[in-house]
Amino acid sequence: MTRPALPRLFFLLGLASVLTGCPRALPPRIEPPKAAQLALPATGAYTGAYMDFGEKEDAVSVEAIEEFEKMVGKRQAIVASSSYWGEQSFPAANIRLIARHGSLPLIFWSPWDRPYEENRGPDRYSLTSILEGKHDAYIDRWGDEAKAFAGPMVVSFANEPNGNWFPWSGFFYGAGKKLSKGAGFEGPDTYRRAFRYVVDRVRARGARNVQWVLHLMNYPYPFDMWNLAAEYDPGSEYCDWVGFSLYGPQYNGDRWGTFTPLLAWPYQTVSELHPAKPVMVVEWGVGEFPKKGSKAAWISEALATMRSPEYNRIKAIVFWHERWQNKDGSYSNLRVNSSPDALQAYRDGIADPYWLDRPIWK
Amino acid sequence: MPIPKSHSSGTKSAFVFLDPAGRRWPRIRVGLVLFGLLFLAGAAWFIQSLLVTPWLRLPTSVAKIKEELKALQRPADIAGANPGARTPTWLKFKRLAESQKTARRARTPAEKRRSVVQPGTDIPEIRVAYYGDWDQSSLASFAAHADQLTHIAVERYTVRWTDARVSIKEEADTGLDIFAATKGVIVMPILSNVAGEGGGRIPEPVEWLALAPPEARAAFIEDIAGRVSASKAGGILVDFQQVDPTHNDALTDFYSELSTALRARGCEFWMSVPMGEDLVSFQLEKLSPIVDHFLAVLHGENSDGDAAGPTASKEWFEGWLETAAGYGEPSQWIAVLGTGGFDWSEGEARGQYISFVEAMSRADYAGLDEIRKEGLRVAGPAFEPNFTYLDKDGTKHTVWFQDSVTFLNQVQTSRRRGFGGVAIDRIGGEDPAIWAALRLPAKLDPTLLTALERIVPGEEITGIGRGAIVSINTEREDGSRALEISADGRVQCTYTSFPAYTTLYREGSGPDRRKVALTFDDGPDPTWTPMILDVLKREGVKATFFIVGSRAELYPGLVRRIVDEGHELGNHTYTHGNVALMSDRQVRLELNATQRLIETVTGRSTLLFRPPYNADSHPTKLDEIRPLSLAQSLGYMIALEDVDTMDWARDGVDKIVERAKQGRAAGGNVVLLHDAGGDREQTLNALTQIIDYLQTRGDVIVPVHELLGKSYADTMPPLEGGRQTVVRFVAGVGFRVFHALESFAWTLLLIATLLVLLRTILVLWLASRFRWDQAPVGDFQPPVTVLIAAYNEAKVIASTMRSVLETDYTGEIEVLVINDGSVDGTAAIVADLATHDGRVRLIDQPNGGKASALDRGFREAKHDLVVLLDADTQFTRETIGQLVQPMRDEKTGAVSGHAKVGNPRSLIARCQALEYICGFNLDRRAYAKWNCITVVPGAISALRVSAVRSVGGISHDTLAEDTDLTLALHRAGWRIAYTPAALAHTEAPETFADLSKQRFRWAFGTMQSLWKHRDMTFNPRFGALGLFSLPSIWFFQILLVALTPFVDFGLLVSFLLGNGAAVLPYLIAYLAIDMLLAVVACALEREPLWRAWIIIPMRVIYRVLLSYVVWKAIKRALHGALVGWGKLERTASVDARLNVRQSAAPTR
Repeated sequence: MTRPALPRLFFLLGLASVLTGCPRALPPRIEPPKAAQLALPATGAYTGAYMDFGEKEDAVSVEAIEEFEKMVGKRQAIVASSSYWGEQSFPAANIRLIARHGSLPLIFWSPWDRPYEENRGPDRYSLTSILEGKHDAYIDRWGDEAKAFAGPMVVSFANEPNGNWFPWSGFFYGAGKKLSKGAGFEGPDTYRRAFRYVVDRVRARGARNVQWVLHLMNYPYPFDMWNLAAEYDPGSEYCDWVGFSLYGPQYNGDRWGTFTPLLAWPYQTVSELHPAKPVMVVEWGVGEFPKKGSKAAWISEALATMRSPEYNRIKAIVFWHERWQNKDGSYSNLRVNSSPDALQAYRDGIADPYWLDRPIWK
Repeated sequence: MPIPKSHSSGTKSAFVFLDPAGRRWPRIRVGLVLFGLLFLAGAAWFIQSLLVTPWLRLPTSVAKIKEELKALQRPADIAGANPGARTPTWLKFKRLAESQKTARRARTPAEKRRSVVQPGTDIPEIRVAYYGDWDQSSLASFAAHADQLTHIAVERYTVRWTDARVSIKEEADTGLDIFAATKGVIVMPILSNVAGEGGGRIPEPVEWLALAPPEARAAFIEDIAGRVSASKAGGILVDFQQVDPTHNDALTDFYSELSTALRARGCEFWMSVPMGEDLVSFQLEKLSPIVDHFLAVLHGENSDGDAAGPTASKEWFEGWLETAAGYGEPSQWIAVLGTGGFDWSEGEARGQYISFVEAMSRADYAGLDEIRKEGLRVAGPAFEPNFTYLDKDGTKHTVWFQDSVTFLNQVQTSRRRGFGGVAIDRIGGEDPAIWAALRLPAKLDPTLLTALERIVPGEEITGIGRGAIVSINTEREDGSRALEISADGRVQCTYTSFPAYTTLYREGSGPDRRKVALTFDDGPDPTWTPMILDVLKREGVKATFFIVGSRAELYPGLVRRIVDEGHELGNHTYTHGNVALMSDRQVRLELNATQRLIETVTGRSTLLFRPPYNADSHPTKLDEIRPLSLAQSLGYMIALEDVDTMDWARDGVDKIVERAKQGRAAGGNVVLLHDAGGDREQTLNALTQIIDYLQTRGDVIVPVHELLGKSYADTMPPLEGGRQTVVRFVAGVGFRVFHALESFAWTLLLIATLLVLLRTILVLWLASRFRWDQAPVGDFQPPVTVLIAAYNEAKVIASTMRSVLETDYTGEIEVLVINDGSVDGTAAIVADLATHDGRVRLIDQPNGGKASALDRGFREAKHDLVVLLDADTQFTRETIGQLVQPMRDEKTGAVSGHAKVGNPRSLIARCQALEYICGFNLDRRAYAKWNCITVVPGAISALRVSAVRSVGGISHDTLAEDTDLTLALHRAGWRIAYTPAALAHTEAPETFADLSKQRFRWAFGTMQSLWKHRDMTFNPRFGALGLFSLPSIWFFQILLVALTPFVDFGLLVSFLLGNGAAVLPYLIAYLAIDMLLAVVACALEREPLWRAWIIIPMRVIYRVLLSYVVWKAIKRALHGALVGWGKLERTASVDARLNVRQSAAPTR
């Protein structure tokens, strides 16, 4: 801190500065990004990521986003985070922050209660309780706040229902038990009805700015007829996107393999389900197991494959950047920087202009 | 006043300014004294009003810290309620059979090690202290207790990615290394995978090392081992955490290679082992032969990421201690004991690490000793002190921490189990009694325990709460506790009173972490403050301005604008001095003056104060605290900062913004920026980005009062009527008068500057257009009388007359000498000349003054054209011929010749030579162009007798009869011409005293003439004379010159205050302009250009001289006394060619 001089004493000398002190212009205002309606790119696809936002997947911060963007050398068109029902809140701050940052918020709206642990089965926010109307007030409030936000946002309600780890999986609601009337199975049908119920309620609050994505696992688990993607489909008027999670090996015991089979069949499945809808790879990632295979090679292959013309209906991909500890003390390291090679492969692959770094508005 | 009417000039009117009755001065003097006394009294009253401390009413919340925290009745003994259902984790790792003992490891000999043994035994003991380099108290503790330590562990190396490799980041602390060496303590640098400030871990580089190709691993090991041995450290303490156990085998191989490399260099390999699930990442059996010491981290049962609970309960501690001892040899293990704890507040995701000292001050402020009858206890089952309290927001806090009692129990337990030593994690803020506990023998008795009873606070500064707005309590007090030995031999205790430390009570970062304040220091500034206000207005953001009183005094309008636009003000002292270096009285004056000023300008007070220079929110020295607590006693809240953008460094907008981001991400919420003190362009640009960033972050930007949950009126209360009315009135009037004076001076000086510049340009322009070619003399050579008034000129008169007589002039010449009663033989010399040359005529008269002599001369002159010259001035052969040329024009009444200094030997004379060149002659050229010459010098001029008669002859009214006459001629409508071709050399005074006498005469005479002819000034009838040259004299030669001492005083003060660097460039520039002018003048004059350098000393000499004579002249004028000739002393150095000049001559 320099002490201000006493220029008044230098009236004779100060004249020069008075004469040269011409008025300056204010620095221009930094306009917040204006979000209108999301447009789908004719060619190319949006790239985004979930960036390890903590245990509840909702500790979104500008610092984390900027750090990730700096690390991978690319802005993110989509930033993903969660909103767990157990919190009974709308992630207003997160969504505003992401939009203000110039990205499209993708929210995993997950109906489960604390402690948020997998493989526990349904809890107080079960699909049936939703269908019984027990959570209408919360859904309505959530819809109201989504409407108030007004900007575009994508919501993945109850993701990966064709697995058996989350409490909203069809697995927990009768699984493959035949419906008493009509074709179909109880498990997926309960999910489908709950999905429609929630979408209807939110739309009824006027939240037209919300886009819905049907977010499955790329392969059903258990792999059974009743658990196929079509069984979960709420219908084309209930979703704006179709998509799935796609992971390479995540645990010590997993076998290493190539990327293409992880994508080909699920892509074909959802494409046939909704030929007119854009496809989103809602989560993708892989662990680091240097003795089994190269994460770098896997990432390079993934990015090359997903932008090949064969899969040109993919309009968005979202990378899952997280490291977690498993029960046996081992870690699953899905971070993009789990090794220098992996990071470099990601940087190189994602740098292709095919991957769009910001949303296009219409 | 007997001032002659100007149109009556020529009549024998009285001497101008003469006050024969002598009444004027006494009256003026009385007036001056009265005014001075009043002014002094006013000033004194004003200053006294500043010493009266403004009445500030602190919001009650800040006033009493003690009432803010409330201890809760119910002890939070979570250990008692510990659900025993789950199997303790340590049992998972417990080895069952002693038979699994590994082979005895090869230990490196302990060299140069201080021998410390367990008290009462000869068993050697390792004692390690964990050092925190960010913490002053850590160093203090090390210095005080080094003799009890063998090792000091310092965070030094961290692993990280760079490109596709793992590299080492080193934070060397050579000072500590040297200090430790002098104390005989071995430095053990820590190699960790900590990343960033928060203590988070990055496991990937470690995993990469484990799996890397052998060459890469070897290179890394070579690097780290080389660094360790080069720094003369005892070895390395590896602290890798959260590493994937999948890679355990590879990692153990890596450790083995590292150990080999270290041991080859005579260094030890230590390993930090966290107690908990993470133990799975350590193959302790395989590691024990290669590791010299395992450090079992025996605290952290619950830490910041966990729920509230003991940090090392007895059961947990002993369980893990036993488990660890099962691996390798017990003596291989060192027990790492905690010295602090955590403060978990409800609703916060993470607990806050606190030292023992901080735990004590929380307990003290919460009044724990008053509320809980049994006080704070350390006893079973957890054997760890804990308490809960409510903060001012009503948030419940739970504190668990370790003290000397837990420490003593743990040390004794680990010694009993055969551990090889203890490590203190960490020093700084620890319970001072742990050092006594270390010295206690295994067999305790109550008398030994008294050593731990008193808790004596040291120099520590403790903090409570979060935020950058602090209140301070500097009272220190001892605490005490009662210790006893429980049935099972462990020590338990009850705190009876808590020690009080110098404590900062922090506020401003409450439950809502979204609030951020932008603060601007050092303003207001006329350029930048308005622009910053514009940006804030555009963004709809309110900020807090910590203003400097002296600047606010200059720009009260800006202060008003800040408040009008809804921003908050804070006090930043009056002179931006360092309060840590000021006396209390000075601090008080600084704060009061600024406060009074703010009150006067805005009608509000401010309760916020921020010290210049030391606004960091974590002061570490008591010196920094003292002035803050003084400010607090005056009623201020101390608003520090915790996001320092360092915008004053001006190292780029990006860096400024980056620092703001980092500071904010680290949890700071008071952003420091500056709106003055230099070019704030970068601040301005950074500001828009910072605002955008904060808003993107989701932050709410508020003034400081909102951080405190207060209203605007709380921190900026409007003045209340009836309180301190008189004091406030005096201060207000004082500031207004001061400000008015200052504004007046500022305006005046600004105008002066403009006029000086304009005049300079005009003079240069006019002078350059003046044609001064030598006129042909041939056809106009009328008869002339050369008139010399002589008084005691014996030394010079002969040569002067010779220079006149040896002229080329062919017209008729009469040389008329009026001897004005000389007593030195002047008359004889002239009479002698007259006998040889018929052109010479001598008239003697009794002494009557120069004017009377000249008057006589004009009456006696034979011819109508009279050439005047001083007895000490020498003509050239062409002078007379050139001088009369303008007289061809019948309207020309007088012609000025061109005088030069003929004796440029002494510095004083050389200055004058240059002055004649650049000042007088340049001016005269310019003035001649517009016929507004103000003086035709008596030293060399030609006059028309008829013209002189028409204005009544030479007047005796003034000391400057030439000026007087010139003005009178102008008045009568005569033209005054100038001919530079008519040269004369005159003698300039050679001593300062003579010069000063001469200039006094000129100054006084000029003032008299101007006064006498005052109706001409600004009179359009007299054209350029009335509108330009006469006002010029008033302004530039009298007013401005009179003001220079004040300006120079200001300059000097400014230099003394250390602003020399800022001033110097201006000063140089100004001198350069002067120099340029001088060079131009010399060029016009065809003088050597090098003469111009004299302008530099001349500036210094003349400034003093001229203002002195002007003030003297003013004083004399007011006195109204008669002023004599002040005749110049003749120098003996008169050259044959030269004359001596006397009396009034050209005035500028």
